[in-house]
Amino acid sequence: MELFNHLLMGFSVALEPGNLIYCFLGVLIGTLVGVLPGIGPVGAMSLLLPATFHISPVSSIIMLAGIFYGSQYGGSTTSILVNIPGEAASVMTCLDGYQMARQGRAGPALGIAAFGSFIAGTLGILGLILIAPPLVDFALRFGPPEYFSLMVLGLTILTFLTSSSMIRALMMASLGLALGTVGLDTISGLSRFTFTVPELLDGIGLVPLVMGLFGISEVLLNIERTIARDVFTTKVAGLLPSMADWARSIWAILRGTVIGFFLGTLPGGGAVISSFAAYAIEKRVSRHPEEFGRGAIEGVAAPEAANNSAAQASFIPLLTLGIPSNVTMAMLLGALIIQGVTPGPLLLSQHPDLFWGVIASMYVGNVMLLALNLPLIGLWVRLLSVPYSILFPLIVIFCMIGSYSINNSTTDVLLMLGFGVAGYLLKKLSLETAPLVLAFVLGPMLETSLRQSLIKSEGGFGIFFSRPISAVCLIAAFALVVMPLLPWCQRRPGALIDGEETT
Amino acid sequence: MLVSDLVWLAVGGAFCLGGLHLGFGSFRQPHAGFMPVLAGLTLAGLTAIDLTVGLLSGWSQEKRDADIWADINPGRLLATALVLLAYTLLFTTLGFVLATIPLLAFLFRLMQARAWWVVLSASVGVTGLFYAGFKFGLDCQLPRGLFWF
Repeated sequence: MELFNHLLMGFSVALEPGNLIYCFLGVLIGTLVGVLPGIGPVGAMSLLLPATFHISPVSSIIMLAGIFYGSQYGGSTTSILVNIPGEAASVMTCLDGYQMARQGRAGPALGIAAFGSFIAGTLGILGLILIAPPLVDFALRFGPPEYFSLMVLGLTILTFLTSSSMIRALMMASLGLALGTVGLDTISGLSRFTFTVPELLDGIGLVPLVMGLFGISEVLLNIERTIARDVFTTKVAGLLPSMADWARSIWAILRGTVIGFFLGTLPGGGAVISSFAAYAIEKRVSRHPEEFGRGAIEGVAAPEAANNSAAQASFIPLLTLGIPSNVTMAMLLGALIIQGVTPGPLLLSQHPDLFWGVIASMYVGNVMLLALNLPLIGLWVRLLSVPYSILFPLIVIFCMIGSYSINNSTTDVLLMLGFGVAGYLLKKLSLETAPLVLAFVLGPMLETSLRQSLIKSEGGFGIFFSRPISAVCLIAAFALVVMPLLPWCQRRPGALIDGEETT
Repeated sequence: MLVSDLVWLAVGGAFCLGGLHLGFGSFRQPHAGFMPVLAGLTLAGLTAIDLTVGLLSGWSQEKRDADIWADINPGRLLATALVLLAYTLLFTTLGFVLATIPLLAFLFRLMQARAWWVVLSASVGVTGLFYAGFKFGLDCQLPRGLFWF
């Protein structure tokens, strides 16, 4: 009954006219950036983060969350019609979705992607509602050692999944941790690596870092090469899947939902790996595995359901523990902190309107997305023809204004440019930026937890192993680091998604 | 990848030295330099492993440093980076509108060869839209410069 009352309160917040508009804006922008390859949800959120300073915390988080789960919907359109994933989580949808489009079945492919996403998204929110409140009570028992170990596990999982070279992903995570130390030391008050630049006393800003690494670097990469896009020109018709399509897809959608939800709740997990796992499992359990890659509708339904379910589930570690499980959640964490809201176990009691309002807005957003993605599919198809030569100059100006308007500081813009060039070089060198950003965000929390734990234990590392949750997390992290060294475990999921942004 | 590994070794070393300069403290009482030293050591250590693996395998599975820069137009990249730097340094002096129009004109022209009148009118229009949207729509502070816009 209490849960029902909370949900009612959430809907009263989410259905306020202002919040409805921001929710619609969020899912609209999310679908847009999902449809357009090259701008992921992280880039879009970093571009819009400064614009959220002028609106309430609830509205801003509703909008930013909408961008995230909206992009999961939009990504499938580009995968099916262009054979280019609109964002990383839609990579698997290309395999069968594009083949279906080539066979004249683009409509059912787009339809099952939208319906599958809706079903998975709705069930994912239900899971979030049921799991988050008990987890909050559990999280209240967490001390610095547990937080430290959980963050180490999250970073390890992300590096394990991100790239084919775990060493290089860990190098990037170390660099992120090092960059996170710039600014005033919160315990001693000493300034670190600020080089007498007053703007650096608060540390390197998340917005310049992300805008540089994800926005400017993408523009620089596209200046050196031109991406050709051939939109599949067959008329998109018959969006409603047939009964036979539903019969083949419904279990794939449900399996994808469950897989996505559990992988999404893991720190370091997320939509990308969920869609890979769902596709692989679906192929394994299918009676017609030979049809996968040749236009099997289950090959579209399962990964689309998984990435949407994972998108909802990844809110659980952020809202209950205050730990972002991936880069997109790190952006949301940054937005919450900027708004003066500290996510974590106390969020539910201190800001119930935000907690339940955001959850309820996801239901509303999912309905909006279904309406946006089915009747308006023609509009999204036309948008695919917007040339990069127009799009990328606009991204540059967005980045410039975005990084300047936070503190009205040219230093932030210079930092963003520096990170833009660095991001370009990192991408050229096949080094992942996702672990760097997540480690950068987690760095200050991780450092504080580590130092508090060591002070509490008088320098003994036993404190991390004498507490069960902490010990389990560290052992799991160690196992993930060691696994690639074992000959029978060398084929990691990261090898499949090498080069893709894990968000 | 030899050059990049050497760069990461240097970066890791720099954070270690900086951390030691700040004061490492002890495990019982960690000081401000504790985390920079740990992060720098980890970065340098992992880079050393990557370097060793690369050297032992003769960089057989790696892209060579020279390969990364093949088939690119360094002039376009350098010009873009310099124009963006100039824009950053000048836009507080010139103001948002006056600085953004030439930047957009440069980028539009660089991305695709179009007639100058198309490029210029698009740049003026887009700058106006951005100015109106951010200044009046979102109440953002944009640099006013010499002519107050």
